Amino acid sequence: MDKQPILAAIDPEIMDRLATRKQEIDNGSYARPGIVAALAIGSVPIALAALSRDAFAQGTIPTAIKNVLDFALALEIFENEFYKAVLGTSNYTPYNTAFATVRSQVPATALATLQQIQKHEAAHVATLLATGATDVFSLQVTSTNAQFDFTGNRSASGGGPFAKATTDLGFLLEVAQGAEDTGVRAYKGQAGNLMTQPAILEAALRIHSVEARHASRIRRIRRSLNTGTAALRYSGTVRGGDAAAAGATDLGTNAAAVTAAFTKIYGAGSNAATFPSESNVTQAGVNVSTLTGAQFGVEAAQEAFDEALDRADVVAIVQPFFIPTIA
Amino acid sequence: MSTHDTLIIRSGDQLLQPTTRRRFLGLLGVAGSVVFLPSVFTACSDDDITDPNNPASYTLNLSNDTGILNYAYALEQLEAAFYTAAITSAGFAALSAAEQEVLADLQKHEVIHREFFKAVLGANAIPSLSFNTTTVGNLTANATVLLSTSQLLEDTGVSAYNGAGKYLTSAANLLVAGKIVSVEARHAAAIRDIRDARGGNTGRLFAGDDVVSASGLDVKAEPGTVLASVVSLNVVTSPLSIGTGPTGTATADVKAPTPA
Repeated sequence: MDKQPILAAIDPEIMDRLATRKQEIDNGSYARPGIVAALAIGSVPIALAALSRDAFAQGTIPTAIKNVLDFALALEIFENEFYKAVLGTSNYTPYNTAFATVRSQVPATALATLQQIQKHEAAHVATLLATGATDVFSLQVTSTNAQFDFTGNRSASGGGPFAKATTDLGFLLEVAQGAEDTGVRAYKGQAGNLMTQPAILEAALRIHSVEARHASRIRRIRRSLNTGTAALRYSGTVRGGDAAAAGATDLGTNAAAVTAAFTKIYGAGSNAATFPSESNVTQAGVNVSTLTGAQFGVEAAQEAFDEALDRADVVAIVQPFFIPTIA
Repeated sequence: MSTHDTLIIRSGDQLLQPTTRRRFLGLLGVAGSVVFLPSVFTACSDDDITDPNNPASYTLNLSNDTGILNYAYALEQLEAAFYTAAITSAGFAALSAAEQEVLADLQKHEVIHREFFKAVLGANAIPSLSFNTTTVGNLTANATVLLSTSQLLEDTGVSAYNGAGKYLTSAANLLVAGKIVSVEARHAAAIRDIRDARGGNTGRLFAGDDVVSASGLDVKAEPGTVLASVVSLNVVTSPLSIGTGPTGTATADVKAPTPA
């Protein structure tokens, strides 16, 4: 589609570098065969991805930035694999089998939504790889390797507190919402670590808002299925904090564990001053629930600002769904 | 350095002329003199950037965080004014209860954003903007135009924050901008979803291919692009403009699409 803007967002100098590198290669400089092939067929995205790895192998990307990209990649692979399992397109057949029951319950419009979201998560994986991220936790799902346990038990055989997501549409959507809202908080928490690389920061912000769009749509589907649950706003925003912000109507067979998970997703991080609960109404030292001319109560003030989480807080949320350790 | 050049500045505007500015800067670097006639200082005394009657008050200096936050404040003023008019409009009355809940939420959130920026900017805040009530009336006259305008405003807001984040120098300011942009994205998805349900019912418009690229990236626009879009709406009557651009490298724009 719009490849030029995408490339510019990744690195404003990339076109120059690409051209220079192509010239070097044309002049006999060494490049891995894949790069030469990609440049020869004029495939800019493929050449970009290959050249980025080529450049980063020379150590041009700062470690702090690389760490953020690697972490983001892990989260995106998880999300992508989750939706692939739900849609029945995973490389690991047992995932597809496990979600068959709930898949049959998804209405056509909601199914299209899940397909659209999965398409974006797959694109995020590709974009992060092209920007220099590496799959440092070896999360590649193959026909014989399950890297995730979507039931939250860190086991290829499942059995965790979120198992109901494979058999119940409402529960599945609660999990999807939790995953998207976690993604929003995770990217927000990492933005500050990308400030020295404005082009990468911008790409991360552009992924961040896509995750927020996903979360909004999932919340709206859930509200339409639970019209009496006012905590689920039709505006797609987050009301309240801790477990209440999930607007959960079904806690499955292990309510304590699911509630604890939602408390982490919507609650305060370990550094509560910087990463408060979604119930927070104090922004930059200003109580936004009592501003003159904008006194709409605490709930609107909570909804008007999303909160961030630090990396360790996000790891604590998602680790139960990853079989490998990602700390 | 035997020659002693003198440049006489009679008015503030003269400094903005390229030839004068070049000489002015040149003289500062050598042993020249610059004479400001009293008229210059008279003009400067009117140059109160918080004065709503002074056009200079609406000229943004985007070279620092205060300017970027004022830019955000201007956009939030626009959104807040639009939704405040919207929730009493004929277009709103034609919406379902579930749709009205969205617009009512958006009005509260945008007014909160506006007042938040006003509070944190304090004495550095630009004045309140003025709006064209006729245009706003036209853009809220029925459900169709109300929803398409809302979509454009929300997508534009997302593109603005996504494009301006890289110019912020304070991590705390970036964090606050991040807390707001995801809410704008939630709004945009909700409005798009309403329009989808009223139209094609594709289940995809909330983050449609018109607004999320093949690389999975949302819209972004540089401040100049956003302000040009805002001006073209003919809603803001105050002379909002950019005096000094952002410090940093601009990226290619992927503008908020015109609602189909």
